[in-house]
Amino acid sequence: MPEALAALPLAEAMRASRWLYAAVNTAHVLGLALLVGAILPLDLRLMGVGRRLPLAPLAALLVPAAGAGLALAVASGLLLFLAGPADYLGAPLFLAKMGLVALGAGGALSLHLGPGLAGAGDGRLRLAGALSLCAWVPALVLGRLIGFAG
Amino acid sequence: MTAAPSALRALLRPVLLALPALLAIAALPALAHHGWRWTTGENLELTGVIREARLGNPHGVLTVQAEDETWTVEVGQPWRNARAGLTDEMLAPGREAVFVGEPSADLADRRLKAERIVIAGVTHDLYPDRD
Repeated sequence: MPEALAALPLAEAMRASRWLYAAVNTAHVLGLALLVGAILPLDLRLMGVGRRLPLAPLAALLVPAAGAGLALAVASGLLLFLAGPADYLGAPLFLAKMGLVALGAGGALSLHLGPGLAGAGDGRLRLAGALSLCAWVPALVLGRLIGFAG
Repeated sequence: MTAAPSALRALLRPVLLALPALLAIAALPALAHHGWRWTTGENLELTGVIREARLGNPHGVLTVQAEDETWTVEVGQPWRNARAGLTDEMLAPGREAVFVGEPSADLADRRLKAERIVIAGVTHDLYPDRD
């Protein structure tokens, strides 16, 4: 499976090109910045920080921003992964990071597809914020470490 | 006027709580392939036979058998290798070469970041600006 992915023309382009790789790498950073930059303030608000700010309008801006950031990060991440599928699948840091990404995305989905921000109780919102914070920040740290310790 | 400072304090509290963790991460020893901070700052010369080659972005990695030691040698991205006149075929398993570069500060890593590669008497300079 990793070999088949690595044989794709797109994978070859990701391995060989100078500026395509750099551009995709940059898009990944922009995706992360948007995702984490939007989700951290929202998580803190869910946990009770800045209660004076009404949740609904805050979420109306931050949730789509975080979603767009996640979409950009996933799309660019798939391309980066193509450059060396077997290397990434064999890297414990990468696997741990993807577990955290699944945890963060799963937690957000279960909240939004379930009770929703408006319907969830205070305790549920606090839990969702804490879980999200504990998923996305370490996911970013592990992701960055792949380039240094992988 | 009193609300603003207390809201600021509330915002800062989680940051302050997270600070020790962030500092601990920042203090991790330089582990890395990026840059040259993790290397000794002095060149080492390694002569050996390439056993495995993984070329391509973000950078190429060779497994080199040098006498009874196995080293991981980091080479350039495709554009850097090409600029130095290196083809994938020249870095293929079975080829012999002399690798000049900086080893990891922890020599037990057996990891070298190549600055120059000499193949059949021809020097290929990956980092012409470095000595």
